[in-house]
Amino acid sequence: MQLKRVLTLRTVVATSVGLTLASSSFVAAVLVANYVLGDTAWIAILIGGALCFLAAACFSELNGLLPTAAGIRLYFSRAFNDQVSLVVSLLYMLIVVVGVVGVESYILSRVLSETFPSIPPYYWIVVMLLLVTAMNLRGIKIAGVFQDVVTYSLIIVIVIIGLFALSKVGFKLNAPLSPGGAAGIIQAVAVGVFLFVGFEWVTPLVEEVTQVKQISRGMMIALGILSVVYAIFTVAMTAVVPKEILVASPAPQLVLARAVLGDVGASLMIVIILATSMKTFNAGMISVSRFMYASAREHVLPAVFSKVSMRYFTPWVAIITLFFIGLLAAAITLLTNNYLVLVGLAAAMSSIVYALVGLAVISLRRRMPEQDRPYLIKGGYFVPLLTALVFTLLAVAVLAADLTALLYMAVAFVVVLVYVNTVVPRLKKKYEARKPAARRRPARAPQGSEGE
Amino acid sequence: MATHLEIKDSLQTFTDNFNKNDRLKIMNRDWNRVVVVKATDIESIHTWTLKDGVLALKEGEAGDPDLTVISDSETLSDVFYGDVTPIEPYNNGTLRIMGSEDDITRLDFICLMIWGE
Repeated sequence: MQLKRVLTLRTVVATSVGLTLASSSFVAAVLVANYVLGDTAWIAILIGGALCFLAAACFSELNGLLPTAAGIRLYFSRAFNDQVSLVVSLLYMLIVVVGVVGVESYILSRVLSETFPSIPPYYWIVVMLLLVTAMNLRGIKIAGVFQDVVTYSLIIVIVIIGLFALSKVGFKLNAPLSPGGAAGIIQAVAVGVFLFVGFEWVTPLVEEVTQVKQISRGMMIALGILSVVYAIFTVAMTAVVPKEILVASPAPQLVLARAVLGDVGASLMIVIILATSMKTFNAGMISVSRFMYASAREHVLPAVFSKVSMRYFTPWVAIITLFFIGLLAAAITLLTNNYLVLVGLAAAMSSIVYALVGLAVISLRRRMPEQDRPYLIKGGYFVPLLTALVFTLLAVAVLAADLTALLYMAVAFVVVLVYVNTVVPRLKKKYEARKPAARRRPARAPQGSEGE
Repeated sequence: MATHLEIKDSLQTFTDNFNKNDRLKIMNRDWNRVVVVKATDIESIHTWTLKDGVLALKEGEAGDPDLTVISDSETLSDVFYGDVTPIEPYNNGTLRIMGSEDDITRLDFICLMIWGE
């Protein structure tokens, strides 16, 4: 039996790349470059990409074992318990969404207000978020083929600009093989994880492909493409523009484009920034509003979030709530100018999730040893154990270097923990009280009198 | 373990409730889909065909479904009688739905509209 509509590997790769590639990725890329000497960011980026391959392998095994759009919510619930699963899922959604929306909107507003100085930066954010919210409320989705074309075009343009920039300096790099001390490389790799945040959000597509292995293959190819693209573009940025200028800019990709292609390059890059940010906002809103809806349906969020538009079949309360959360995150980021802390926070949270994914593989091999695994990581416990250890180290490295990020993380963790332990039991109790006393399903007839 | 007949009754109850609900019929008039419901622990396969807002149930399997709902017989009966929401067994891995994410969400919306929270 074959589903009518199935996704191709090309779309799986485009979705994984598309969910990962954001305007804020280039800010993180410059942070990576700043932790190492000369033009050696490519080393840290490729190491970061290789480490994410480990996490991708773990996600692949879990995805094959438990093929579901519920993702980590189900993996962690089976591997650890429901409470751990709920705390991590809520925290991941909260931090990554607030982090990514905060940074993206900051970058976007700065870029657009530079281009159109008469319009205040916050105005742009309101307009963009309103546009994405309206699209989500109407249930408008970018068609698969069009999304593929946009994502692959973005990749090609970014690579071309990067290579063109490198050709301007005759492909001469400053000490490309001497990144400096181990501490700098560890920090660079830790922040570099942000570059790949979201590659695994493609796992919910498992129910739309013919073979589970397409998801793993798609994630791996996406990570390979992203590693190479980021490495080329970041090295091009540091080879052409001094690092101090790049670090001071919220849109270093624009600085590079202007430096090598003048106003034409700047205009082209503004279009790219707009396209990537819109794509990121949209993907984030779709994923998180569905997550909120599902959470409300299982009574871990207030029932109001399960309200659905009668006209468009979209979870409108969740979408509008996200609009206001986005506005708040953007306002705070614009007021404080502290967008870099959000990069660290999202990188640390992703590392924590990847470490837990490694542990989940180990736990589920023990708890469900007989279950069929279409994708089994070779080498016993080595890869999952290495994934857990490496990403724990990276999370510690990010949080130790940025105490503000550590503070935010601790506060968010306590809030979510208290919520899960106090509010969730009340919501479940309230639901139980509202449930009809009698089951709708008729009582079973005595044995022997049943039909077939 | 529920019987094939119990699953059939639950699906028929769901179908009747859907077809009695004019609002649902209008909302889904453009959502033409084939949904296969399959039990894992007993021999029981049904196919729903939703066309122009009218839902029809038949026994057996369709060729190319848009959605395939797979679970044990107890869960299927409970879900389609509205005694549990589909999300609960879905999130704990008891219920599998193969198809596009939008279609899965739509199916849950329909359950919500028929059975409430």
